[in-house]
Amino acid sequence: MATTTAALTISSSDLVGDALSLSTSKELHKADTTIGVDQTSGIGCIYLTATTNIDLFGAIVDTPAFEGKSHWVYINNKSETPTEYATITIGDKVIGRLYAGDWMFMPWDTAEDTHGDNKHADIELAPSVATGMSFEYAMFHEGFQLTTAV
Amino acid sequence: MATIDCTLAITSDIVSGLAVNKTMTLKKADSTVGLELTTGLARRSFTSTNQVDLLTAGSGISADVTADKSAKLYIKNVGSDSTKYFTIGKGNSSGSGTETTIDSSGTAYYRIGRLYGGDWMLIPWDAATTTGDITIQPSSATKMDVEYMVFYE
Repeated sequence: MATTTAALTISSSDLVGDALSLSTSKELHKADTTIGVDQTSGIGCIYLTATTNIDLFGAIVDTPAFEGKSHWVYINNKSETPTEYATITIGDKVIGRLYAGDWMFMPWDTAEDTHGDNKHADIELAPSVATGMSFEYAMFHEGFQLTTAV
Repeated sequence: MATIDCTLAITSDIVSGLAVNKTMTLKKADSTVGLELTTGLARRSFTSTNQVDLLTAGSGISADVTADKSAKLYIKNVGSDSTKYFTIGKGNSSGSGTETTIDSSGTAYYRIGRLYGGDWMLIPWDAATTTGDITIQPSSATKMDVEYMVFYE
């Protein structure tokens, strides 16, 4: 059994009257179990030179075989220019913007879209500029449908 | 201007050498100025499986969390049960035990994922009016607790 742990620390000495310090840590488990997730995409890095909205993680399912399974997504905007951001969406619904240096970490259900437009639950990313932006990303999971070879 | 640092550390033995260690300092949109507002850490209990808004866009602090602003949202299932979870989504909540229909047509709702006991998430939040609500639905009507906090400008 594999062990994957995601830990978060949030700290600030000047946001509120007293110092803010929050720490939490959790092993990533398969759904409804205490068994650790045992698969990963590894850590990827891409360099995008267009503002085209792309599927960073495509939920390539016509039937939701892996819906409800455990998937965790990490994305980091590696830009150092404050005005460069990426718009992150799920199934065409905007989650928010990742500005320079920002990262996000969230569960991903790969839920099937009922709209019939094949957008599924894709995690999409659109850079704000076409001058080149780098992103780091990874997925930790218990199973994911792969494309059938043609 | 405040300095808020968020550090993510992921360790894994799925493959050797796999680790993430990233610190971000939360800043206002398009700037190097730090975020300086927060809801503080809130806690909420649920005793039904109804899908409801955890955060409602366009009202209260969410009125300031628009697409051209910067905001980060932290949510944690503070329970310890590995079989009980919160389903987190974005869009319109149903107000009932039946999840809003998942629809990517741009208006209604999309499910994000599940937070089991102890799980947490940290995401950017664009609280677009009418479509930017953060929804939550407990898997059990037995009391379940969640903690959450928003940092915004």
